[in-house]
Amino acid sequence: MKIFIMLALVVFLSPMAYADAYCSLRDPVAQIKQLYPQKTNQLSIVKTVDAHTRRQVKLALPSNDLHFSELGQHTLYVAMKDTEALGYVHVRSEQSKWGLVEIIWALDKNLQIKDFTFQRCRSPKKKVIDNEDFKNVFIGKNFEELKTLLSSDGITANSMLLNKAEDAPELASVVLRCALKTLLITDILWGEELKKFNP
Amino acid sequence: MGKVKVLWSKTMRLLVTLFILISVPSYGDFSDNLRVSLDGSARLNNNIAASNTSRIYALGIDTHKVFTSGNGDIGYMVGQLYLTKLSNQTPFSSLFNSPDDKQYVIREAHLNHTSGPEWLPNIRVGHFTLPFGLEASIDTNGRLLDYYHGKNLGTKLDWGLGFNKVLSHVEYEFSYTMGGKNEPKQIDNSYILSGRIGSLSHYDFILGLSFLDAKVDNIQRKRIAIDWQYYWHTWGFLGEVAFGKDDKFQKEWQEETYSLLELHKTSLNEQFKFYGQYIFTDREGDSKNQQVINVGVSYQINAKLELSLSSRQQVNTPESGKKQNLFRLQLRYRY
Repeated sequence: MKIFIMLALVVFLSPMAYADAYCSLRDPVAQIKQLYPQKTNQLSIVKTVDAHTRRQVKLALPSNDLHFSELGQHTLYVAMKDTEALGYVHVRSEQSKWGLVEIIWALDKNLQIKDFTFQRCRSPKKKVIDNEDFKNVFIGKNFEELKTLLSSDGITANSMLLNKAEDAPELASVVLRCALKTLLITDILWGEELKKFNP
Repeated sequence: MGKVKVLWSKTMRLLVTLFILISVPSYGDFSDNLRVSLDGSARLNNNIAASNTSRIYALGIDTHKVFTSGNGDIGYMVGQLYLTKLSNQTPFSSLFNSPDDKQYVIREAHLNHTSGPEWLPNIRVGHFTLPFGLEASIDTNGRLLDYYHGKNLGTKLDWGLGFNKVLSHVEYEFSYTMGGKNEPKQIDNSYILSGRIGSLSHYDFILGLSFLDAKVDNIQRKRIAIDWQYYWHTWGFLGEVAFGKDDKFQKEWQEETYSLLELHKTSLNEQFKFYGQYIFTDREGDSKNQQVINVGVSYQINAKLELSLSSRQQVNTPESGKKQNLFRLQLRYRY
């Protein structure tokens, strides 16, 4: 009986599981360095994306939901140059017709998009990320500003973004949804803790 | 009865220690950046060739903790301890004493120090997967999917020291371990020197080169290998080719060639995965090579529950005349 009580306590302390074993976790070290070349280290802050977070995403972005792999514990990285915080890095995945697209987002301390790169994208149109005009639509924008790029269905990008996306409209919508969820979830889960880096 | 008491006492001690570490306020910092999952699985093995059905039950704790200071991460720890119970399992691993034995099994248990200067590698200490071939970048712990480290290299995990780093275009890991497998000690001068250098593991095309020089269970092994992973849409084409030699009888080296090809396909949301593997092994001194096909499917029912099925069939008839024919089913729950 005692062993079951102890196990139940351990279970109680782990509110959300990660489908793969934790030994498979890899920090995106090379990509963080690419987005913040001057960083000397990174500071990890782990938080749990749970059913409550999911409801908040659905409320702020109707027609959108989180993929099951997005639930569980996730890491936000603070790019550090010695003791100074340069900005934040958050990896999120978004379902697409080419499988999951994983994007690494660099955010500034005001939670605006600073830069981004694909960690994994198997779309033949992935070179759209090299298009400066496309990228510049995102850079410097916060959640509310990016939300204006959604069309009325709440899922696809509107013409303001699609005009810059050349022949990759579907991928452009994927990137936009991922950006919006990243900014929203970062604010919901990490916002309070990140205030100490931006007094 | 005595054995049960010892097992009970060990269980309680481990759980109490873990509980105290996580919950006592003075250890509040320890619970920061800590991931803890309870991981349970039940596996059914139907060895049709041997007319034997067995079961393996595993219940354990999987943990991951990032240690930080004001300047950033210092390193991380992975700890996986499982109580594993066999039921009519033959043949059984050297970790167990009988077909119905139960033992505590440490899977991964290591610390990786990551905060050194940029030019210095990270330092890993503990029980970890040998840096060799596909297994180095694809975790198979607790899954039916396997890349056969144990069979080819003598062990999948070992206790020791490793150096690793992810650079701008390549990543590497080299390790020196003691060859005691599940025990942190040398046995009859055992050792394993292994390493892998490869392109970054998030690319669509990944190429790796590995080597191994080892003495485990009194068998000397030398290997070099090339591995690759190529991903296109939801398809993956993976392979590993290893060349080397074994010395089982002191000064009588026997050459060995091993190759594995895998084709897999995942659904768009990655809940469903299908894979097929072709494995070819040719050993000097054996009159026939060995060719095996594995086919498997896994379905991630939700974030916690996964169902896996696999079938292993031998293509050619071995000297014994009995082809391998194994069907396995596993239900795994992580909470």
